[in-house]
Amino acid sequence: MHIRVECLTHIYAPGTPAERFALREISLEIEPGERVGILGPTGSGKSTLVQHIAGLLKPTVGQVLLDGVPAHAPTAEARARRRRVGLAFQYPEQQIFETTVFREVAFGPRNLGLNGEEVTRRVRWALETVGLDPEAFGARTPFALSGGEMRRVALASVLALLPRVLILDEPTAGLDPRGREDLLARLDAWQRETGATLVVVSHHLDEVARLVERVVVLQEGRVVADGPARALLGDGNLWRSLGLAPPPEVALLEALQQLGWPIPPECWPREELAREILRQWQKRHSQQGARSTQHAARSR
Amino acid sequence: MLLLPGMYMAADSPIHRLDPRAKMGAALVLMVLPFSVQRPLAYLVLIGVVAAVAWLARAPLKPLLRTLRTVFWLAVIMFVFYFFTTPGRPLLTLGEITVTWEGLIAGGLQVYRLCLVVIVAALLTYTTSPLQMTHGLEALLCPLARLGVPVRELGMVMTIALRFVPTFFDEMETLARAQRARGAEIGSGPPWRRLRSLVPVMVPLFVLAFRRAEDLAVAMEARGFRCSPHRTRLYCLSFTRWDGLAVLLVLGLAILVTR
Repeated sequence: MHIRVECLTHIYAPGTPAERFALREISLEIEPGERVGILGPTGSGKSTLVQHIAGLLKPTVGQVLLDGVPAHAPTAEARARRRRVGLAFQYPEQQIFETTVFREVAFGPRNLGLNGEEVTRRVRWALETVGLDPEAFGARTPFALSGGEMRRVALASVLALLPRVLILDEPTAGLDPRGREDLLARLDAWQRETGATLVVVSHHLDEVARLVERVVVLQEGRVVADGPARALLGDGNLWRSLGLAPPPEVALLEALQQLGWPIPPECWPREELAREILRQWQKRHSQQGARSTQHAARSR
Repeated sequence: MLLLPGMYMAADSPIHRLDPRAKMGAALVLMVLPFSVQRPLAYLVLIGVVAAVAWLARAPLKPLLRTLRTVFWLAVIMFVFYFFTTPGRPLLTLGEITVTWEGLIAGGLQVYRLCLVVIVAALLTYTTSPLQMTHGLEALLCPLARLGVPVRELGMVMTIALRFVPTFFDEMETLARAQRARGAEIGSGPPWRRLRSLVPVMVPLFVLAFRRAEDLAVAMEARGFRCSPHRTRLYCLSFTRWDGLAVLLVLGLAILVTR
């Protein structure tokens, strides 16, 4: 699905003393199948923007077009489009309400009016996609699961809608490192398998770097940068100006450059950087090794 | 929302500055008075007094009158009830039903009383923050603590409840949006379906509320909180000369109009 955001402005509580601009004249396009990261500090409007894309908020000014149809319109056409956009909110496990994992994941597909067989098929597929065994988990009560498992159930309940656009708002917040790695790998595999559009909201640069090709940076409701992840993520100054910590690789790269290592800034992502460091280190080591052998020989 | 009409609006006025105990006491008297006066002039005096208080409190007129909407149907029912059931001089006869002058007056009087009570209550909530109100209530109910009523605990419960009302509304809205993103139709369709559609919002809301209550209890206990009688407050209530004057004025008014 093609997403086009046109001059979108959103004001919370307009006309009151609490009035606040969440988004200011945002324009951007997301092509079908693109993997986009939306980054920015807390309060920059990331969550508001993605809720607009899912058609859940009414724009104060401007509009969001899903394949050319305004996302918030009350028409059947717009509703059909909205249904192809899956949005997992921050801490999606907080929306869990059903008595069993199966019923929880089936809630979305049932709302689509699907028959029982199709619902079962989708629930099983969605649970497997997030790494939960449908046999073992289906009948359990979701409230007795661990935090990480609940997060997976909640994400499965969005995947079961078979979205053409999947939006994840801070999908790994509060997960341990292993759970985070595993979830990111599964989402990556899901996107490759389905070819759907993936939009990830985060202020965790590291995980976005793994998952997306393009990065849109928001600050105070405005787009301050939009470009290939490779170019933007390596720009340590950009992240510091936003008050975010650059990814560890960038910090390492900068530290090495300061020490006089001639590492080109395009060494990105981390595998490439690692290879380059290894190469230069070996070179230096062999030089240094030669020197220290000489030194040892002299002292003897 | 709160059962009380109107909401607190922070402002600086002589009424806002009054001690909550004095204000609540005075408001109580002003709410009882419309039911105990007899003479037409007294009715007008009461309206004048309430209007003067509203003016002193710098209450915006429109929102204040809008609080009356909350009791519109109650007022209509009360008026109709008195209008048709009070015996007296016939005003109009339609077949079997006869309405009377006395009925008209009695119905109007009921509506007048209701409106006055609502406006006074609205003025009280408008000029007194929920926190102050709880402090005041706790102070006024203090004598009951000797009888074993857990007044302090109730005050604490009320303060916490009021504190989390806006939080709940935020959460409810977020949850409704999250479920709508999963294709739920919330609050539409026939009544039975509309009620059922609230389940996906209410269940998580309660789960969150209970979890928060537990966290809050642990946090409070970790800081050594106890509802002991020796607990002190950052903001102490102070009963000044002005508060005394306000109470005396209202009591004077009460004697004057009920004589």
